[in-house]
Amino acid sequence: MSSSIVFVDANLSHQPEVLLVDDDEVSLLLTALALRERGFTLVEASSGEQALEILRGWTPDIIVLDALMPGLDGFATCTALRQLPGFENVPVLMLTGLDDDASIARAYEAGASDFYVKATQWSLLAGRLQYLLRASRTRIELERSKSKLARAQDLARMGSFDWRRQNGGMLLSSEALRVFGCGPQDALTLRGLLRMVPQEERRVLLRLLHDLLRQNSVLATDVPIVLFDGRQRVIHVEAEPEFNDHGQYAGYTGILQDVTERRHAEDKIRQLANFDALTGLPNRRQLLWRAERALEQARRMQHQFALLLIDLDRFKIINDTLGHGAGDELLVEVGRRLRACVRHSDQFTESGVELAGARSHRSLEAVGRLGGDEFVALLPEVLDDQDAARVAQRVLDCLRDPIFVSGQECFVTASVGVAIYPRDGTTVLDLLRNSDVAMYSVKAQGKNSAAIYTPLLAGRGREKLEIETALHKAIERNELVLHYQPKVDVRAARMVGAEALMRWQRDGRLVPPGDFIPLAEETGLIVPLSEWALREAAKQARNWQQAFGFADSIAVNLPSRLFERSDLVEHIHQCVTSCGVPHRVIQLEITEDNLMKELQNVIPALHRLNEIGVEISIDDFGTGYSSLAYLTTLPISELKIDRSFVRDLGITPQSSAVVTAIIALARSLGLRVVAEGVETLRQMEVLHRLGCGLMQGFLFSRGVPADDLQRWLEQTVLPRKAPWIGAASTIEPDPVDPAALAAGGRRFR
Amino acid sequence: MSHPAGPPNDPHGDHAAGGPVTLDATALDKLRELDPDGRRGVIKRVLAAFESSLVRWLGQLADRPDPVDAAALGHIVHTLKSSASSVGARNLAQACADIERRLRGGDPVDLPAEVQRLVILGNAALVAVRAMLRF
Repeated sequence: MSSSIVFVDANLSHQPEVLLVDDDEVSLLLTALALRERGFTLVEASSGEQALEILRGWTPDIIVLDALMPGLDGFATCTALRQLPGFENVPVLMLTGLDDDASIARAYEAGASDFYVKATQWSLLAGRLQYLLRASRTRIELERSKSKLARAQDLARMGSFDWRRQNGGMLLSSEALRVFGCGPQDALTLRGLLRMVPQEERRVLLRLLHDLLRQNSVLATDVPIVLFDGRQRVIHVEAEPEFNDHGQYAGYTGILQDVTERRHAEDKIRQLANFDALTGLPNRRQLLWRAERALEQARRMQHQFALLLIDLDRFKIINDTLGHGAGDELLVEVGRRLRACVRHSDQFTESGVELAGARSHRSLEAVGRLGGDEFVALLPEVLDDQDAARVAQRVLDCLRDPIFVSGQECFVTASVGVAIYPRDGTTVLDLLRNSDVAMYSVKAQGKNSAAIYTPLLAGRGREKLEIETALHKAIERNELVLHYQPKVDVRAARMVGAEALMRWQRDGRLVPPGDFIPLAEETGLIVPLSEWALREAAKQARNWQQAFGFADSIAVNLPSRLFERSDLVEHIHQCVTSCGVPHRVIQLEITEDNLMKELQNVIPALHRLNEIGVEISIDDFGTGYSSLAYLTTLPISELKIDRSFVRDLGITPQSSAVVTAIIALARSLGLRVVAEGVETLRQMEVLHRLGCGLMQGFLFSRGVPADDLQRWLEQTVLPRKAPWIGAASTIEPDPVDPAALAAGGRRFR
Repeated sequence: MSHPAGPPNDPHGDHAAGGPVTLDATALDKLRELDPDGRRGVIKRVLAAFESSLVRWLGQLADRPDPVDAAALGHIVHTLKSSASSVGARNLAQACADIERRLRGGDPVDLPAEVQRLVILGNAALVAVRAMLRF
């Protein structure tokens, strides 16, 4: 029997600890024995006073109190122990021999959890204790979970409420009251809550509540409110109807949450997702969205709409020169001005937009930033090209005034390309691409203007794309060749060097340099092309050295960006050493414009090249804006007079004056001077008379393949058969120029 | 299950007037359930506790210079009622219950006579308990 009467709950982690209080020794002993046998741990006390003393240092799981005791009886002991901290909720079972109502009521009034009429049915007593312990445990768990819930609700700024239609009205939990900035003792009625809602929204909310009550439907809405202290919050409310046992609607129960921060974050996310952070204009995503909607409307209502692609001219220069901060300032100001050119809509547009009404698509009109210095103006409805052109002109005009950035005036212009739906494209992407084509045509024709797309422009664009693709493969396919144009000393009637000219043999025909060199420069392909040219020139110098003792130099044209490369000197070194020729066989030509544009970046390379024996020649001299002061210090060896001056020699006195000046300048700086583009004997004679004896041009030879140049030397120059040879020998240079100029500069001999 | 607790011809315990003193066998069996193999000496411990308690109460009833008042008597009979019942001193327990009921009910109670009755029944129970303890 004893093994079968263990009652203690298997879920308990320890034996329940009981304080048993009874003044009757027999009862105390018997009850203790019975409970121990049933798995309880007992501490006994024979009086209320002793019990309270024990409780000062120990907390049992349950207290069993005899009701009638001398001194402090069970009722008084229970009342006293409830006052002790930590004993508010410890279960107390009152044992009594009295089964009258008054004693039972007294027991509960004193704070007892339950009562038990004394009997020797110990299992019943143990069962009652187990029940009380379980209830206590459940209550503790409930308290904990309630407290966790309250904490969680507090953190989530959340609370619950009940709303009874009949009596009671609105009942808010203390957490819910806190959401409204109220204390737990404050009372808030539905009317009071509604008064917190701004008038306009209140009307909407009342209508919603009215519908809700009529249909007994579920509520889920966000409500803006103004708290008593003036703070504005957004409260999310969710509630569902409750029905009584008879299925009749009784009220609503629900939760509410302060979602102000979340709403702000969502607004911020929406703003970041749809608007450019720098200018505040719609970004690419938002623009495309608006354009798609505008296109849908245009298709449905059969009208035209226009996309204007606006690209700032020379923005990179401003950015590079004044820094990115200044560049950003400029973009902000440009954005501000562009915004004024259209009926710009700041309204956020997303899928929720309601495009109601015949002219509602007008709200899509906007200027946005696609990225970098590219903007787009979206005109949702235009009557004709002129409509769009007028806006394009407004765009150009708005940029006319200087913009102050970094304390400096900047003049900004833009190139605008226009594409019109449906003529220039039936999708947004087509329209964007074609406005891009139109914009690039403006760039190609000098910028600061606007153009409307035509299919012809696209044809050019396609052709350009094809060339670009083919050019990428030209080197590996050995389609590039160098032609050579000799530089001659007309007085001595001999070749003194050659200029390497790049040609592209594409599909059996030679592509003129003007058709692919600018593209190569634009795409960066000019770098591998130039490196290839340097290798080829070095090889050719060795070939000619072996063939006819060539000891002069071959000039290779290089763009300024190559001079900025730190490995240029190394590359040239490798080219010449691998061919077994000295460094001086390579001469580098840089145009005056390129030189001046990148002067500071190019100077170190010029010095290093000069140190290893590679000479530098300034091409197209006289056409750019040279700082003569720099010429005195730069390590250059040669100036090449631009062909435009040579062409007009003997025709306009100004040309002679310029050429004379250049020759004098070169002479005074000790530089060699070469005239380019000499095509007639007359030009040759004038140049020679002015003191320039080194020339290059069709009069002597076009740019020809290497073998042809050797043939020209052997068959024309050496036998002195060319007409210019005889003529040159009879010309006497002007006295200002002794033979030194004709013979070359300081390093030539 | 039933163990001899007293003279076998008095299964209801205590003493009938002039009869031998016994304790109620059912009550004692109930006590034995708490210690079936008797190794913990539960019956002896309980009877010893009852004996000392009863001696104390009888002392209080008999030796007081002043007659006991209703409240004191009420407390004594309340306490004795359950412990006498537990050890099987049924007559004593019933007398206690009777006096307690009448006191609580406000019925007229002849205190000296009831005290006298309690002393007699208490002493009889004491004899029975001591006999059990000796047994």
